[in-house]
Amino acid sequence: MAIAIFFIAAAMAVAGGIGVISFRQPIRSVLSLVVVMIALSILFLLLSAQFIFVAQVIVYAGAVMVLFLFVIALLGPAKEMARGRLRFQTWLSALFVLALFGLVWAMLQGVQYRQPEKTDLNTFGTVQWIAVYLFTNYLYPFELTSILLLVAAIGAIYLSRKEGDDR
Amino acid sequence: MNDLYNNAIGHWVIVTIAITALLFVVLTATAYTVWFERVALGRIQRRPGPNRVGPYGLLQLAADGIKLAFKESFVPATTDRILYVLAPCIAVGAAFLAWAVIPIGLWDNPKVTYWIADVNIGVLLVFAFSSLNVYAIVIGGYASNNKYSLLGGLRAAAQLISYEVALGLSLVPTFMIVGSLRLRDIVDYTVTWGPYHGPIPLILLTPIGFIIYIIAAVAETNRAPFDLPEAEQELIGGFLTEYSGLKFVMYYLAEYVNMITVSALATLLFFGGWYLWFVPPFLAFLIKVVLLLFLYIWLRGTFPRLRYDMLMRLGWKVLLPLGIVNVIVTGIILLAVQG
Repeated sequence: MAIAIFFIAAAMAVAGGIGVISFRQPIRSVLSLVVVMIALSILFLLLSAQFIFVAQVIVYAGAVMVLFLFVIALLGPAKEMARGRLRFQTWLSALFVLALFGLVWAMLQGVQYRQPEKTDLNTFGTVQWIAVYLFTNYLYPFELTSILLLVAAIGAIYLSRKEGDDR
Repeated sequence: MNDLYNNAIGHWVIVTIAITALLFVVLTATAYTVWFERVALGRIQRRPGPNRVGPYGLLQLAADGIKLAFKESFVPATTDRILYVLAPCIAVGAAFLAWAVIPIGLWDNPKVTYWIADVNIGVLLVFAFSSLNVYAIVIGGYASNNKYSLLGGLRAAAQLISYEVALGLSLVPTFMIVGSLRLRDIVDYTVTWGPYHGPIPLILLTPIGFIIYIIAAVAETNRAPFDLPEAEQELIGGFLTEYSGLKFVMYYLAEYVNMITVSALATLLFFGGWYLWFVPPFLAFLIKVVLLLFLYIWLRGTFPRLRYDMLMRLGWKVLLPLGIVNVIVTGIILLAVQG
């Protein structure tokens, strides 16, 4: 059952990824990316990471991609023009794909498969479990991330101010 | 019951029956919510409301449904066909998926509780699915190739994202008090106050949370006074403008299912779920949900629609800070009480 779901979700993710780069209309690319996000969240769920699953759906599918969609919808249903295409683009992309798969292959060389250590699947990946680690072992990285978000928010507010607007 | 549930095949049988029953019950409930709304709105506006088809107009919805099902499905010429059809499907799918994690107590003795999935992340899953609802509206508005539809879709995107934050924050105090996101744990939360020992409606502990929740939830479901994405006086009907026939019905259905979901969730989170003195659990649950649905209709009947800048100001400058303060204050009180 889990294997079947894995392959369905993996196929969804790959199909979505191909869709992102092959559709001519930007809105379909965005929706393909949403499919990728949802497929990834299903993979998280298969790994018993319940909280990551739901965070992935809420944050990426529910908020980030909606902003993408917002911008694309504002631009209107114009088709993307095929222009500025490099002459040797095909060969270049083939080279990059080869390099990527070479890297993946090289990384997988030293990997040994084993059973996960004593993890209780009743608590693994739950909200409580993640919260305990986030607020003990990983407190400093977590707090640093919040500072990063604060900086981004302040920057966004500053950039959206009009010139000479003192409010 | 539990043995059967833990058995692999028994589990699937129970889940399938539960899903079928859910579809039937929620669809019926939706139909009568529409009837209830039209009658209640009629009374609020001093007119009788539907009373011709069947006793008390109860069959009005069946008549409307048949009319809309046989209506010619008119599709404007230059739409994006696939997205145009996909959008209402997303709306209905997201609306029903949220019910996967909502439990309902049915009977006290023996204790029977209905649920499809009882997961650790509970409430968050409802939010995850309802956050997909925005796609239905934005895509619908975009694919219709109509400026009013597009404006409605864009308004919806901004509105839903803004109020989702407040909606999530409004529930954090509840999670802090109960210590779980599982909806059954939240309903079964018991206190010992002097002679009283038992479940309480959590609204007594987080009244501010409930106020933020209900405002944000009304905005999330695009209902008046937050129905800016439709706003028939300014946008003709917003994202719904170009939809007719069954596709219109699907949007309409999704809206009312979302209303019922929000009411059921509020019942579970703030009003003690299916506990109400000696009233049988399913009846208690029903009464509370119907009262909350009436609140929805009451709001629609009495409040004028917000202007767009007021909507944004309310969301970001009032509800969000209030929600954060609510979380902090709850945390301090919890620390003081529990030590």
